[in-house]
Amino acid sequence: MVKCIGENLNIMSKKYGKALKERDPKPLQELAVQQTEAGMDWVDLNIGPAGKMGEELMTWLVPVVHEVTDLPLALDTSNIKAIEAGLKAHKKGRPLINSIMVRPERMDALLPLAKEYDADFIALLWGPEGMPRDENERGALCSEIVFKATGEYGIAPERIYVDPIQTPVNVQQNQIMSALEFMKMFQDIAPGCRSTIGLSNVSNGPPEHLRPILNQVMLILLKRYGMYSAIVDCFDTKLHDIAKGKRPELEALVHKVEDGEAIDMSSLSKEEVDFVKTAKVILGHALYSDSWLEI
Amino acid sequence: MAFQPTKQIYSGKIREVTLGVGDKAVTVGGKTAYSFHSFEGEMPNPPRVAMEIWDKDPSADWSETAKAPFAGVLSDPVAWAKKCVDEYGAEILVVQTKSADPNADNKSAAEVAAVVKKVADAVDVPIIVWGVASHEKDTEVMKAVAEQCSGKRLALSPVEEGDYKQIGAACLGYKHVVVSSSPIDVNLAKQLNILLGNLGVKEQDIVIDPTTGGLGYGLEYTYSVIERIQQAALTQEDDKLQQPMICNVGNEVWKSKEANLSAEDAPELGDPAKRGVLMEAITAIDLLIAGADVVILRHPEAIKLVKGFIAKMM
Repeated sequence: MVKCIGENLNIMSKKYGKALKERDPKPLQELAVQQTEAGMDWVDLNIGPAGKMGEELMTWLVPVVHEVTDLPLALDTSNIKAIEAGLKAHKKGRPLINSIMVRPERMDALLPLAKEYDADFIALLWGPEGMPRDENERGALCSEIVFKATGEYGIAPERIYVDPIQTPVNVQQNQIMSALEFMKMFQDIAPGCRSTIGLSNVSNGPPEHLRPILNQVMLILLKRYGMYSAIVDCFDTKLHDIAKGKRPELEALVHKVEDGEAIDMSSLSKEEVDFVKTAKVILGHALYSDSWLEI
Repeated sequence: MAFQPTKQIYSGKIREVTLGVGDKAVTVGGKTAYSFHSFEGEMPNPPRVAMEIWDKDPSADWSETAKAPFAGVLSDPVAWAKKCVDEYGAEILVVQTKSADPNADNKSAAEVAAVVKKVADAVDVPIIVWGVASHEKDTEVMKAVAEQCSGKRLALSPVEEGDYKQIGAACLGYKHVVVSSSPIDVNLAKQLNILLGNLGVKEQDIVIDPTTGGLGYGLEYTYSVIERIQQAALTQEDDKLQQPMICNVGNEVWKSKEANLSAEDAPELGDPAKRGVLMEAITAIDLLIAGADVVILRHPEAIKLVKGFIAKMM
């Protein structure tokens, strides 16, 4: 069972970005209701960097969303003042700070807030030199932030949601493998900590209509190694079923591909064939191309 | 225990593609191991050097070093082509259709095709026609060229995602080879070959252009993508990438500032008579080591160096 953080309330979206700018609660509240009905466990509030308006925007947005849902909210911005405003305004359940990078200036500013407001936070494994190059650098960054949060600030491990960073299959397939390798070591490196990932980034670039299957197969692969939660498309019901463990036969099939077992393609349904092909491109058994399902 | 060198395991083979027709037709590809790894597999056809000519007088753009070997023929593509074949031993000729450039001379497709046809009739070596990477203009020009030169099995380039349907169809109709061109990206190279396959272009009619960066201008990116394409083709049985590769080297190298600066302007960069030649040769040799099957060059001295290298390696 993977918990879901609904990603769709996003400043980059045409519809919701406009509503955020105009402070129009209606579309945002409708989306929050849809996310609740879709079974999300959090609603992500992505307001972007938000500049000087960030503080005021988050102060307005949190109660607007909480008027129609009891779900906890993920405060998704790089704007520290906006995060603090969101924490102050968050009255239902435990807020989730999205995110704290493993950079001294970010940790020094945000870890005290996580402690003060008893919030959950996403520990994004993005270091002073940017993206980690492999699973070992992920491990080092993970240790650093967990050590600092628990040791220096006395934050409990279960408040920490480590994000090993999802990369797109069409440009950085090898980084997907190191995120998976990291997940295999994760509970040894950071016992008691939780995990999350920006799942949809795996399909950032491929044709729009083919994004769901990439997200779905990626989730199966991550789920196998204990991914605790994921930031996902709240409208992809098949993905939610996979997250809730309702498609064990697809999970078993993808695991077979990962384990290199021989698969008799002629005995499979179209859906199963597509899952096998997709698992192969994500795992690098075959090279990705936009037509991967057709060959 | 005796020393055991590690051996790369190969599971695939690069397809052979034949350019041109008749006695002087040239077959490239066919290798079963990385280039020059004769201790691991076969390389039945040596890599080839193609020689470029322009369909317009390049005197205004070229440095003295680049112009000198072609004095007297630069304004006459047919004479230039003959000089390349007869005097410099060119085995493949590339016509760069610079006169078609919509931002410069913008000659009509009919005019451009007529010159290509004259060149193709004047020599018996295979001809590659290299366009200006404008989808609209290349489509017009390549259609006309394909028709005019029907039966000569030219290679038409660059064929990109934005014009593959039109130029690919022209190659199909008049039996020419497609140079499948993608912007230094292994996934896009594969995708374009899939699309060409869907169009009906046969595997024996596709050469890959991975896009060339010259020394100091992205050579390492081209090197990496050629390696990656070859690894997929030879070690991962990636059926769609098992095609020979071609690199448009001379054109890239000689347009760089450093290849053309005079001794007065850049005394620290050494002898200008050698500099561009060496930049061109080094770029070509690097790309051949990475896995290119055809390199297109400009200067006869660079060609000599590169051919010497190939001869030693084979």
